[in-house]
Amino acid sequence: MEFFLIDMFIAAAIFGFLYGFLLQKADFCFVASVRDFVSVRDSRLGKGVLILIATAMMGWGISLTFGWSTIGEVWSVPIGFTNLVGGLLFGIGMTIAGSCASGALYRAGMGYVQFWIVIISMMIGNILFALVYDPWTANYVQQPLQLAESGFSLFQLNLPFLLLPILIVGVMILITIRQFGVKGFFNGFKEAAMDLKGNPLKRSHWDIRLVAFLLGVIATVQFIIMSSISITGPETRMVGVALSFIFGEEFIYNNTYLNQMFASFPSIGIGPEETLIIFIVLGAFVASLLSGSFRLRLPKKKRLPYAIGGGLLMGISSRLAPGCNIANVVSGVGGLSISSIIVVIGMAVGVFIATAYIFKMPLLLFQKMDFEDDIAS
Amino acid sequence: MSLKAEELKGLEINHHVDGVGEVCPHTLNIALSALKKAKPGEVVVEETDHSIATKTIPAAVKMNKIAEVLGIVEENGLYKIYLRKL
Repeated sequence: MEFFLIDMFIAAAIFGFLYGFLLQKADFCFVASVRDFVSVRDSRLGKGVLILIATAMMGWGISLTFGWSTIGEVWSVPIGFTNLVGGLLFGIGMTIAGSCASGALYRAGMGYVQFWIVIISMMIGNILFALVYDPWTANYVQQPLQLAESGFSLFQLNLPFLLLPILIVGVMILITIRQFGVKGFFNGFKEAAMDLKGNPLKRSHWDIRLVAFLLGVIATVQFIIMSSISITGPETRMVGVALSFIFGEEFIYNNTYLNQMFASFPSIGIGPEETLIIFIVLGAFVASLLSGSFRLRLPKKKRLPYAIGGGLLMGISSRLAPGCNIANVVSGVGGLSISSIIVVIGMAVGVFIATAYIFKMPLLLFQKMDFEDDIAS
Repeated sequence: MSLKAEELKGLEINHHVDGVGEVCPHTLNIALSALKKAKPGEVVVEETDHSIATKTIPAAVKMNKIAEVLGIVEENGLYKIYLRKL
């Protein structure tokens, strides 16, 4: 690519704004989707993540079926144990930090100073990884742990593109109907749309199922007209741009990892995807201002090590996996990419490990509950 | 039971938990440890500026069957979550 069209920057700004706005409206937290489920059996956020995956999977399948995008555009990376290890460390890091990559951005827009610190720490982690990449990480970690040199998406199987998404989403719907009944299933749609009544902009909270669906649709449109959504890759390039101001552009060109991050760029600078990241923060800022929930939130000093340590771990592991929660859950699992399915499993295990062994939280998911006794009797 | 903001403000508070500046999972952990110390019937209030805690703490105490959620008062991004130990 020799240059970026201005249209792409405008599209990126709109996408970013919408993501930030919606993430803030539902308080969409990927850490809590696993942590609160295993710890206190709260499945509200988990349902949101599943709806997001289902919508993205269908969206990717539809856009490939109609030829709006090609199989070569589906994001998949080499398969290996680094997917699992990177995902696991990212899961631990985000639980310690208190938010995932997208959560840190929307909360930064809500006025959380803690998550500005997390974002800066993540960026430092990105650079630490880039500094040790060649030759150490590339030769002694990634290569030995690699199982396949190229990525693989199940969309590459010689099957109709919509077959697997329909089967997987069909099973998800069947499980939902089995648990809540047909009436309960359709009531869910009604409940999810309730928050749009009156003036939804002033409402501080929108139903997560509605937001998850909208996020999946927007990510599909982005996939068709622009790129696969990702956060930590663009963040690495943003800090690369900052470093090029301090140490000169040679610093970037001489670093194997950073050089390849800018391979498709006309020069070292902010591209559409980086613009999208900035607008996520802005979208969340506007959403929180409208609902009156913006506030400059200063962290307790004793929690700073969590923000810095968790952020650093997220920054390093997001390069190893590669990708954060958003790239892997939406573009990756939505794109039926094997590597991302492994990363997401790693992340869930990482969140569990940090919940159980670092924070030593209750693990109600594995305890027999009173209401189960009631059902049994 | 969900009380109105005025009724909540008029309640006698037995345990006040300062969660301002805290994020998950600390916001939940400090609420749970205060509830463990409280006697049945006592009111525990956590003050927090972490918006998602207004969802996670009520869900957690209901599931734990450790407290009743009396209600939440919000003022400019600052929330007070009123709980009564069961």
